[in-house]
Amino acid sequence: MRLTQHPILEFDRGREIEFEFDGRKLLGFEGESIAAALHANGIRVFRESIKRKRPRGFFCAIGRCSSCLMTVDGIPNIMTCVTPLKEDMKVETQRGKGAILLTESFSPGSRPTEARRGAKDVATVSLAIVGAGPAGLSAAAYAGRMGVETIVIDENDVPGGQLIKQTHMFFGSREHYAQIRGIDIGDELIANLSGLPVKLMLGTTVLGLYPDRTLSLLANRRHIELRADAVILATGASENMLAFENCDLPGVYGAGAVQTLMNVHGVVPGKRVLMVGAGNIGLIVAYQLLQAGVDVAAVIDAAPEVGGYHVHAAKIRRAGVPILTSHTVQRVTGPDRVESAEICRVDDHWQPVPGSERTLSVDTVCLAVGLTPNCELAFQMGCRETYVAELGGPVAAHDPDLETSISGVFIAGDASGIEEASTAMIEGRLAGLAAAELLCREVDREELKRLRSEATSSLKTLRAGPFGATAREGKRKMFKVGS
Amino acid sequence: MRTNADCVIIGGGIIGAAVAYYLAKGGMTNCVLLESEYLSSGATGRCGGGIRQQWSTEPNAQLAMDSVRIFKTIEEELDADIEFLQGGYLVLAYTDEDVEQFHKNFELQRRLGLDVEILQPEEIASRVVKQVNTDGVRMATYCPTDASANPFLATKAYAQAAVRLGVEIELFTPVTRILREGNRIVGVETERGIINTPRVVNAAGSHSVPLARTVDVEIPITPYRREILVTEPLERFFDPMIISFSFGIYFRQVKHGSVIGGFAYADEAPGFNEESSIDFLTMMSRKLSFLMPALKHVKVVRQWAGLYDVTPDAQPIIGETDGVDGFFQANGFSGHGFMIAPKVSSLLSQLILGQKPDLDIDRLNARRFSEGDVDLDHSVV
Ligand SMILES: Cc1cc2nc3c(=O)[nH]c(=O)nc-3n(C[C@H](O)[C@H](O)[C@H](O)COP(=O)(O)OP(=O)(O)OC[C@H]3O[C@@H](n4cnc5c(N)ncnc54)[C@H](O)[C@@H]3O)c2cc1C
Ligand SMILES: Cc1cc2nc3c(=O)[nH]c(=O)nc-3n(C[C@H](O)[C@H](O)[C@H](O)COP(=O)(O)OP(=O)(O)OC[C@H]3O[C@@H](n4cnc5c(N)ncnc54)[C@H](O)[C@@H]3O)c2cc1C
Repeated sequence: MRLTQHPILEFDRGREIEFEFDGRKLLGFEGESIAAALHANGIRVFRESIKRKRPRGFFCAIGRCSSCLMTVDGIPNIMTCVTPLKEDMKVETQRGKGAILLTESFSPGSRPTEARRGAKDVATVSLAIVGAGPAGLSAAAYAGRMGVETIVIDENDVPGGQLIKQTHMFFGSREHYAQIRGIDIGDELIANLSGLPVKLMLGTTVLGLYPDRTLSLLANRRHIELRADAVILATGASENMLAFENCDLPGVYGAGAVQTLMNVHGVVPGKRVLMVGAGNIGLIVAYQLLQAGVDVAAVIDAAPEVGGYHVHAAKIRRAGVPILTSHTVQRVTGPDRVESAEICRVDDHWQPVPGSERTLSVDTVCLAVGLTPNCELAFQMGCRETYVAELGGPVAAHDPDLETSISGVFIAGDASGIEEASTAMIEGRLAGLAAAELLCREVDREELKRLRSEATSSLKTLRAGPFGATAREGKRKMFKVGS
Repeated sequence: MRTNADCVIIGGGIIGAAVAYYLAKGGMTNCVLLESEYLSSGATGRCGGGIRQQWSTEPNAQLAMDSVRIFKTIEEELDADIEFLQGGYLVLAYTDEDVEQFHKNFELQRRLGLDVEILQPEEIASRVVKQVNTDGVRMATYCPTDASANPFLATKAYAQAAVRLGVEIELFTPVTRILREGNRIVGVETERGIINTPRVVNAAGSHSVPLARTVDVEIPITPYRREILVTEPLERFFDPMIISFSFGIYFRQVKHGSVIGGFAYADEAPGFNEESSIDFLTMMSRKLSFLMPALKHVKVVRQWAGLYDVTPDAQPIIGETDGVDGFFQANGFSGHGFMIAPKVSSLLSQLILGQKPDLDIDRLNARRFSEGDVDLDHSVV
């Protein structure tokens, strides 16, 4: 179902167009994701799993998992959650591994040579930043301000990272963008770049990071090589999955996915939702669901206490939604999509309490059970890997300047440990400044020092108090190991 | 870890595992296999898994053909699935030299009884595989009994069978030094202690060179990086390994559905570098989408590199070292050690057990290099 009215958002939809799904004609809007268009038409099953032929829908909605792969215009394994819809597209449910077109025409004449390509084929830049979320954009602003020629690369067509779907007001001080909605912070971060030697390269995925800091980029199906003197990885995080019976059934979605569907595409995920996870993300998305007119059956969390801010929890409770702590989801049921969810209480050891099972009639289960840093590029390049549970699991080791074990490769924001947009922005700043120090021979040392200590003390403030305890502990462990 | 053994095998690749198995099968069960990391962590786990009988010298073709014979029944013998598939090899000729060499190879291979045939470009689509771009192809040879298998599963199968017969396998146990007294081997030293043994099999791939040096033996092996990549899985649509010497390329579709393949840069510098390069990624993608245009829509999911342990004649070094009793070499496979592993390992074990090998392998002894008796095979990718 599509949202037509929303208390905060106005949906600026493209042209209404026709496309084909398994031979049927459907309507959608040009440029929205294929997954959103299908969802708006009530279609939840996108493919069959390879081995057990189970129905699958989408899960992450940001091109991270492979749940939504379909055959589009004859090409299999297309990520429909990030592929824009076009007129007359032929979208097909993918069964099995997908087969490639056997009728592909040959391209005579252009026989590739043996030669290694020379330097002329490679673009260069001083600083390459991967990810145009809050961390990447802040890094660009500060590196640019110090005079560093910078390119920010993001796979999305719109900059802002996760902020582009965050309709709620942020907390904290003005300096940290409190009382501003996430969607507006993104615009402000972009505005900060004007007049600086910073270029944005959108709709471009970084496929790999090679020795000599050479990036492999894919833009509009063209491959580009970019060599940088320094790289900042601000690639954000991916949503965690939770294992329970039938957890792969269409209708079990990540919280970020629900947010994307609802706040970016204006499509609601279902009629009645069970939210799993009472941290800030779970609470905020539950509230946004209510704002969009979706019924929230309950917010549950296995922990004995609500993890998110109490203000968020209070808003949910006021709307009549129960928050059940010490509860987990056991299974979901339905033939090819969620029709109900069974929840139960857990004891002090997080074990299900027999006899406490309850069945909720819901068509959507939203998982807000944490995130894992996106460090693949760092690991591919050979940056040292460590495991710090408090930061979200496997992370690239880094020092307080956010430099990894490889000189000139920095990591910032959620990619360096799961926190928040506010800390991501400050980490980005620090990484940008550290890169500037490395790259510029004639940098204003005094100014650099001042900006750095300002940022360091901001981070300290942000990580102070009980809500910053986990991140504080995580970073403490990280800096003890060293990069 | 045992402290006394009849034989210590260094290296847990396909060769070490197979030698251990054949030794135990032949009755020498008190063997220890030492591997510095995990099974198949070296060239074996990085290789293409291709099993080709189409070679240009008789001994190589013979070894490969005998190996295929063993591969055909090995799953039963070892009681394990190794994804052995006789999908054939399609070899494409592009140049005058190719064509000339292919005809020579064809004569030799037919004489040895191999079911190889010559195909004209227009026959390829109907006879073997539809999706190959035959632009520029002058001719091809095709051998339907050429094969492929999963190198991880094959190594594991040999290793587990060896263990069942009494062999001990120690992983994450690098050999730091081989021990020699006068002209004979007396043991090996590891990070976890010493094993006394009169026999050592040096099956450590390119790392065989520094190991041999610990007992003052020089073996003429040069390591070269070779890169390779794999795509997302697709429904199965072609069976053969497709190779071309002038493109230096090979690729096939593995059982899981991924297309796996690589090519060799002619100007690769020697050394132990095992990093992946962006050059390879782009060039391999171009070559693949030229040779099989449908693949241009398919995503590469991983790339990696491994080492070829190359000898001056691109043939392995097999046999006991002159002047050092009990020091056996099984290295220098020069990029085709997986396909001949069953036969070579079985022959070497016969030698170690004091039996007469059922095929002459004396020609593969390292002494051939000092005698200047080398015969280069032209069919190396
Ligand atoms: C529901 C919800 C509510 C939240 N509420 C708050 C809040 O109230 N206050 C707060 O401070 N924080 C909040 N957060 C957290 C905040 O959104 C994140 O911490 C923040 O966005 C992290 O910023 P980042 O720049 O590190 O990563 P992201 O914002 O995730 O940006 C990373 C960008 O990199 C791109 N990228 C990744 N890999 C590649 C690649 N290989 N090639 C090209 N591009 C790539 C991604 O597409 C993305 O655009 C909330 C998060 C959620 C999900
Ligand atoms: C990219 C690539 C593609 C290839 N494709 C094919 C193909 O299609 N067909 C084919 O037949 N061949 C192919 N080959 C060649 C094939 O992989 C090798 O010839 C074969 O695997 C050699 O096996 P091995 O057991 O001798 O060596 P390895 O597999 O390298 O085993 C040696 C082992 O010794 C261990 N080791 C090293 N030093 C020590 C020490 N000090 N102590 C203990 N252990 C030690 C290593 O960790 C390693 O596991 C390919 C090779 C590469 C790199």
